This record gives sequence, C-alpha cells and structure tokens, in this order.
Amino acid sequence: MIDLAKKIEAPATIDITAYAGATEAIRAEAAKLLTEGAVAAVIGYIPGRRNGTAIPAIVTSPEKAQELIFSPACVNNLALYLTRAKKEVKGKGRLAVVAKGCDMRALAGLMGESQLKREDVVIIGVACAGVYGSGADRDAPLAEKNIARKCRECRVHAPEGADVVAGSLPPLPEFSPVEAEELARLEAMTPAARWAFWKEHFSRCIRCMACRSLCPFCYCEQCICDRNRPQAVEATPRPAGNMAWHIVRAMHLAGRCAGCAECERACPMDIPLNLLNRKMARELKELYGHEAGLEPKEKGPLNEYREDDDQSFIK
Amino acid sequence: MSRIGVFVCHCGENISRTVDVERVAQAAARLPGVAYATDYKYMCSDPGQSLLKKAIAEHNLDGVVVAACSPRMHEKTFRKAAEATGLNPFVCEMANIREHCSWVHEDREEATAKAIDIVKLMAARVRRNRRLAAITVPVTKRALVIGGGIAGIQAALDIADAGHEVVLVEREPSIGGHMAQLSETFPTLDCSQCIMTPKMVDVANHPKITLHTYSEIEEVGGYIGNFQVTVRKKARSVDMAKCTGCGVCMAKCPQKKIPNAFDKDMGTRPAIYVPFPQAVPNTPVIDRENCTYFKSGKCGVCAKVCGPCAVDYTQQDELVTEQIGAIVVATGFDLYSIEPKPADSPIQGYGEFGYGTIPDVIDGMTFERLASASGPTGGKILRPSDGKEPKEVVFIQCVGSRAREKGISYCSKICCMYTAKHTMLYKHKVHDGQAYVFFMDARTPGKNYDEFWRRAIEEEEAVYIRGMVSRLYQKGDKVVVMGSDISVGIQVEIEADLVVLATAVQARKGADTLAQKLGISYDKYNFYSEAHAKLKPVECATAGIYLAGACQGPKDIPDTVSQASAAAAKVMTLFAKDQLEREPIVARVNERFCAACFACKKVCPYGAVEEKEIRDRQGNLIRVVASVNPGVCGGCGTCQATCPSKSVELDGYTDEQVMAMIEAL
Repeated sequence: MIDLAKKIEAPATIDITAYAGATEAIRAEAAKLLTEGAVAAVIGYIPGRRNGTAIPAIVTSPEKAQELIFSPACVNNLALYLTRAKKEVKGKGRLAVVAKGCDMRALAGLMGESQLKREDVVIIGVACAGVYGSGADRDAPLAEKNIARKCRECRVHAPEGADVVAGSLPPLPEFSPVEAEELARLEAMTPAARWAFWKEHFSRCIRCMACRSLCPFCYCEQCICDRNRPQAVEATPRPAGNMAWHIVRAMHLAGRCAGCAECERACPMDIPLNLLNRKMARELKELYGHEAGLEPKEKGPLNEYREDDDQSFIK
Repeated sequence: MSRIGVFVCHCGENISRTVDVERVAQAAARLPGVAYATDYKYMCSDPGQSLLKKAIAEHNLDGVVVAACSPRMHEKTFRKAAEATGLNPFVCEMANIREHCSWVHEDREEATAKAIDIVKLMAARVRRNRRLAAITVPVTKRALVIGGGIAGIQAALDIADAGHEVVLVEREPSIGGHMAQLSETFPTLDCSQCIMTPKMVDVANHPKITLHTYSEIEEVGGYIGNFQVTVRKKARSVDMAKCTGCGVCMAKCPQKKIPNAFDKDMGTRPAIYVPFPQAVPNTPVIDRENCTYFKSGKCGVCAKVCGPCAVDYTQQDELVTEQIGAIVVATGFDLYSIEPKPADSPIQGYGEFGYGTIPDVIDGMTFERLASASGPTGGKILRPSDGKEPKEVVFIQCVGSRAREKGISYCSKICCMYTAKHTMLYKHKVHDGQAYVFFMDARTPGKNYDEFWRRAIEEEEAVYIRGMVSRLYQKGDKVVVMGSDISVGIQVEIEADLVVLATAVQARKGADTLAQKLGISYDKYNFYSEAHAKLKPVECATAGIYLAGACQGPKDIPDTVSQASAAAAKVMTLFAKDQLEREPIVARVNERFCAACFACKKVCPYGAVEEKEIRDRQGNLIRVVASVNPGVCGGCGTCQATCPSKSVELDGYTDEQVMAMIEAL
C-alpha cells in the first residue's frame, strides 16, 4: 500500500500531443476510403460543442472527414454503431470504424456472434494512451486524477487486428489500479455483505436503460426485459425488478462483455456496473480460462458443454 | 383452454393409499379454467377411458388433465382417448401424482396437498396449451448394426432377410466376436465355430448387408428414421478388392512372434494376419504397431510376395457416412481382467489368485482356446507352464461377479453353465483327470440347463465344493488351492495342475464413449440401459436405437440370439412405415425478434437450427434469422434457455406456460 501511495504522488502525465498524430492519420485514412468509395461511411469522433468534448459522428464525404478527431475525450465505444440496434447506420453499406484497443474487443465479440463480418468493416485502429474519466477535469493533462478507470490497467493500448493503426503511443506512466482494488474489495466481502452492497446500488436504479442503450452487446431486436407475455422482468424501477434486470444484464454479458465500461460511464446513478461485469469476467476466466473479445470465437464457455468442464460448484 | 376436465386416478391403491384422491378432485374443480373434475379407480382401464371420453362430450371439455402416473407410462393412452372424441391430443396432459407423489411420500395430508399442487400446475399449463399437429418425417429404411458378434450377426441377417439394407460395423478385422473363440457351447456341446461360421459367411454373401470390418463409429447425428452415421474404416493396409485371401503374405511375413490375442496370447501370429482361419472377410490386415516396415521402413516382404498387389502401405483411414433409419447396438462384453490391479477398472483385483504371476492360473476364455480344435494346442488340454496334461484341475466360479466388496454386485449369468461345460470338455479329453469346482451357488435356469449341470456332476464326475477360495500359491509344479467347503464346514486344500477362473462379464471398454456418441444411457457398470426393464427390454430410451446381446448385461448365446431377433423385429416394425409420426414438441423461432446471434445454433445438440434468409418479393435479402428444422429438433429446450431475448420457444413448454405453472403455486 505504501508503494501505491508513492505512485499516486509521482507526477505522471500523458503527452497529449501524440493524439494529434492519430487525428491526422484518421482524417487521411477516412478521406482515402471515402474518396475511393471503399466505404459508404466512416464512424468516428468529431469535437463536441463544449471545449474538451467529443461526440460520435457518421461521416460520409471526404470533406467532412477533415472534421474527425481523436483526443482523450473520445470515450464512446463506436462498435455500438455496427450492431443491429443501429440499423440506420448499418443500412448505409460498407463501413469503416475508428476503434480503440478496448473497442476492438467488442468488435471481435460481435463477429463471434454473427453480428458482423470482418470483410464488411474497415477498422481504423487507434493507438490510445487513455481517455478521460467521467466528470474529470478536461483542461488538465491526462493524469492520475482525470484518466478513466478502465485505462489505468489497460492492456490493449495498441489495437491488434485493425486494418490500419492511427497514431503512436506516448510513454505510458504507471497508474494506480483502482479497478483491481475495487474488485479485490468486492471479493473480500462475505456473500451477505456483497448481496447488501449490490442491493443498495441496484435500489438506486431508475431503469433509464442507458446502460442497455450504450452496450454493443445489447443488440437484441427485443430485450427480454421489454417482453410482457410472459413478463420476465418487472419494468418499473422497484427493487425486485431492478435486481432482476441487473442480474439478467450481468448474466447475458458474462463471457461476452469485453469491459469497455460504457454502461458505467452512462449510468446517471453511479452504479458500478463495470465492477459487476469484471467480476463475471473473472469468474469465467477462473472457471473456463475464457477471456472475451481477444478473438472472434464461435462458442463461449456458457453455450458450450464439455466433458471436462469444472463441475465442482454443483453441490 | 377454458373448459378443462381433471381426472384423478386411484391407480388401484397405488395413489389412493397415500393421496386423498377425492379431495384432489374437489380442489381441482375449483381451479380456474376447470369445468369438470372427478376421480376413478383405474383411469387407464377401458371403463376409465370411456369415462374420460364421455365427460369430454358431455361437458364440452377443451382440455384434459389426467392426474395419475408418469406421462412416460400412459400419456399416449389418454391422448389417444382424447383424440377419439375429436379433441387435439396435445391438449391432454398428465399430472404425475404417482411417481412424483404417492410413491415417494408417506404422510397422507402432505402428499394430498402436493398432489393438489401438481394438478394446479398442470391445469395452469393446459390452459395455455396450443393445439399442435403431429410432425411426420420420412424413414430411411436402412439399419446400422454395431458389433459383429453373434448378436450383431443375427440382427443383421434377420433385418436383411426381411428385405432391408443393413450396414454392419465391426471393430476387429473379422466378424465373429467372442462366440468364434469358444470351443463348444452349452447345453448341447455343439462346436461353436461349426454353428457360427455359416452365419458369418451368410453375412458376407448377403446382398443386402454392407460389411465394414476393422471399422469404428466416428460420429452419429440425426434422429429416429434419419440418422447420419460416420464410420471410420481403419487402414487395413490391404486392398480388399484385390486380395484373394491366399495367405502367402502371412506365411512369408518374417515377423511371426506377435502374441495372438484371439488365442488369449497363447499362440503367435505374423504382423500381417487374419485373427483366425475362418475369418470373414478373409482379408488380412497389417498390425502397424508390430510391422517391421511401419516401424523401420525396411522389409516390405508381404507387398513383394502378393500376387494381386493388394498390399498397400499408404492406405489411410477412410470416413464413410451412411444414411440410417435405425440402429442396433450389439457391442458385446469384455471379460474382467483378474490381474492384481486391473488398469482403468474401478473394481479391485484378485491378487490372492495369482493370475499373471502363476502361469497355470488361467481364465475361462483361455481354457476355451485350449479346448478348441482350432486353438494353439489343437484342442489338447495342455497347461501353459510346461505343456503337460493336467490331471487335477480346479475351477473357481464367481471371480469378480457377485463381489460387492470388490466392486461388482451383479451375477455374470454365464459362468455356472460354462464352468460345468469346462469340466465336461476336460473329462472328455483327459479321461483320468479330475475336475473340482468351487462355487457359491449354481444358477442354472434355462431350458436343459440344470440337467446339463447335473450331468457334469453325476455322469462326468466333477466334484463341486460349495465355498470360496482364499489363496492360491505355487508349490513345485503344482498350484495349491486353499478354500473352504461350507456345506460340511471344513477347510479344503487341493494340489492342482491347472486352475481356471470364471471371471466376470463386464461392459466393453469404451462402452461409455460409444453411448455418448449415440446419445443412449448406461448404468453404473457401463452396460447400456433398456427403456423399460420388463416391457421395453430391447429398446433404448433414445428412439430408433435398439440393444442386442451382452452390451446390455451378461447374457448367454440363446438369450443373445433371441434379443438380437427381437431387436431386428423392432427395426422391421419401424421400417414397415414410410412416414414416422413425431411429437410436435419442437422449438419455434419468433422470427420478428430473433437477433441472429445464433447462440441457439451453437448449443443445439441435434444440429436442428439453421440460418434462414428472409427476402422480399424482389429477392433482396432483408435479414437472416435462426430457424428450427422440426424434423431434426429433439425438443430438449436448450435453445430456449440460451436465447438471450427469448425469441425461441418450445411448443408445449413455452415460457408463458412454465411461468403460469410457477405462478399457480
């Protein structure tokens, strides 16, 4: 713990100028693809109205491509726009998408689930040192106090398997692993304490479904939570229905969620949704050695039966 | 369904003893949607069924719950009765208050309350039942028989003689199985090979039988009437089309010192060989593990001497896929290995019997080979250690069988009879010899069986000692057998020249693996399970798969042949129809909501889920969705459980129905 405190104190910032290089490369590649007609649209980021923000954009002309940027404000996982939940985007034709290393994992997941064919998409990977956390100070350079939690322990700064890679990585400082610590705290709880912990969090849920709207894996034509004949999950924000929804969400993402943490970012009630996702991911890794999103996989451990599966949990 | 009739059965006293059936009927009458409820002593009887039919007509019922036994028992009976009145058969369901209730509970109050709950569940389900139509699927009139022992041969011949095509798959290079190894057979003492080999030849010559020897089942897909079976034809290294069976290769093969497994390792064979002279087909195989050419690349004598150039060292395993309508499993048995610690066996060995360490302690099958005219000694009884004729032979029964503490609790059924036979064969060949038998009980039910055993004692002078043997040890050139005679309560010690152990019949090694490929169930000893011990003794619980012979449990030849013919008759019954009716309990995809993630396709054990393209009238692809082939679907519901958006449902077990059942409680 003492070592950790030292690291936090150590002045460590990320050189943001590296992002400018990525911006240039993305613009050039997008313009080229659109001019050649290789794609109908490029999904990327453009500056938001307020300073230091960025929003997703679907760019269809080489001129517009010059508006594309990459900065620490480019937090969104654009894989979302390649799912059937965004039919109007998919309907445009062949697409290119700007993807950070973490977003690449979602793309791999979608390919494994027959939602996306590799040949139907051009992936403009970005070498990403990290993005801002939610509510962070966006005027200060990217550092310990304003970098997103998921970026602190990121292992996919350099995207693998992209068609092109935009930008290069600046030197990366060590950040305190808050996500790992959080998970360790959760796992150290007694089952009763853990139950109480989640019950408290879920009780605040207002069922705005922002977590579902942003999740690249929530692409169902109709969510089970919206079905009413029979109703599986109560729709109003009451404790039982909230609990049911969050359990369904966790179970449906187990073995699929690649940890982009968009759900947690979008949650207006600050429910630590990605903590639950990460807990499920760890269970799957420990039980089946499975890690989501490393490559497109035909079968995940939860829809495959193997004779040598661990059965020890059956008592 | 809003006018449901509930019929509560007493099942004689089976249900009414522990469940107050009248109260169940009264409670049922008050359930939502129930228009009529009654109880009756035997619902399945003719008057019971008439009662049901009459009530349907009189009360204008549109759904039926029969609270009685397991649907496995009588669902068909009542569905047929309901159908006779014009109702859709699939709105008639069973509430199991016998196996699930009266048989397993003692407290009348609690059992009655539970029975009411079970009826409540089923009434809630029937209210939401849909009228389903049976599915018809075509039947491929081609049978697969797995195993070419006497069971497989008999089944194959019977089915083929009825005019249907048969594919017979045998793992060994020749058909024949254990029966081909036997010398003579009880209770008539006719020569095993003399009665066996003509049948083997019949198989080879039958125009309707396709024989795959030296082959194994690789994969089984499909379902009753429509199986796809992939057979791995192992590389024989000899071209069956060219080989004339002249045997020159075997004579010239320089590697001749390989223990012959057919003779229980007593004789030797060359590396290119047929297991025994009467082998069918009479085409040798190269044992690649022991062949000099395959080990070192040098030799090649067999290829040089082969006139028709049939030897082919480059031959590879070949996969053949056969379309099959019904499968007969006749994979036979293994004999329990009595080594001190048998490998891969949950049962403990018999170290005290010295098998494997004392050369003159042999098992029953080895004795068969010694007694056989085609065996390594030409039919002379000569003991393995020094080739002398044994003058005193001790037979020990129940080695491995009926020994709970060692791991097998069942009786191997054939040992009493074959040991009696062994004593006779011995006496016929060694006139001045003396046979002793240690036995626990003599179990000789069967036509002419007890007479046979009595004859061994009374005419052939075998001495039967009731008791078990505690220890065997070598003393000079004798084997000392220490045992007890419990009928007179004394210790017995016999100095024997040869000891023969009647070892237990066990399931084939790998029987479980094959069962998993076939999707059939097996018991804790790996014997295959029949669908019903009394009423469906040759059927598997998996439709379209039948059992013959000792793969189901220890059996002698007459029983095996009877069962093989019975299995063949079942296959013929199936093949008598062109179309097969299947229960419409199959999954259906809600195409509007399917997100095409194909998780269902990945989990489907039947391969029933396909990708379906939805196109507009111009033929433009709108989208792709999952689609279930109802002919292939096994109705297991795995897809339903897997689908994240619940866009696939199992007819008869829809989420709506299951949730209603839960809510009814």
